[in-house]
Amino acid sequence: MNRILEDVIRKNKPMVERITSENTMGYVVSDNAASAVAESSFDNTSALAIIKHMNGALVGMAQSVIRDLDPTNKLCYLRVATRKFEYLIAPEEVFTITVVQ
Amino acid sequence: MSAEVEEMLKRFQTYKNIAGIIIVDNDGIPIKTTLENTQTVHYAALMQSLVVKARQVVLDLDATNEFTLLRMRTLTHEVILAPSDDFYCIVIQKPSD
Repeated sequence: MNRILEDVIRKNKPMVERITSENTMGYVVSDNAASAVAESSFDNTSALAIIKHMNGALVGMAQSVIRDLDPTNKLCYLRVATRKFEYLIAPEEVFTITVVQ
Repeated sequence: MSAEVEEMLKRFQTYKNIAGIIIVDNDGIPIKTTLENTQTVHYAALMQSLVVKARQVVLDLDATNEFTLLRMRTLTHEVILAPSDDFYCIVIQKPSD
């Protein structure tokens, strides 16, 4: 797995604990290049499903929509609210964080 | 019905943060808008595909769930997409934070 990613995850451990102790159901940190799960509090199959559906399809489409409307703009984060819970998705350069609450 | 809608639109326009509101029906045709025409049509067309995709994604992840709101935060503003039975509503606002 990416060395830089591991460092970042280790450095953010207290923040992750704070987030998960609040009202969240879980989180997934995915590596963009490999489209694989880097870190997750869900079981592997659900995490992979979330990555495949959300990150792959929806985030990419939302990013291209924003850039289509204004080429200088870019997507900072995405919140998908559903009846049961809410997905907070933050895409970055090398990774993407998805939190379910 | 449309009197209430007009009233709501007028109320929303007094909020300083809101840059525009577009109401699009299921075929992708904007029925009410506060922005100019070319921009409106552009937004409506793009959001149409996004709404369909988002609905599918949520349904795929959990068949009992349904997608209620989509918020995209960009550098310059925030776009909120609220789907409903016969139409969906796009709000563009300058973020307050």
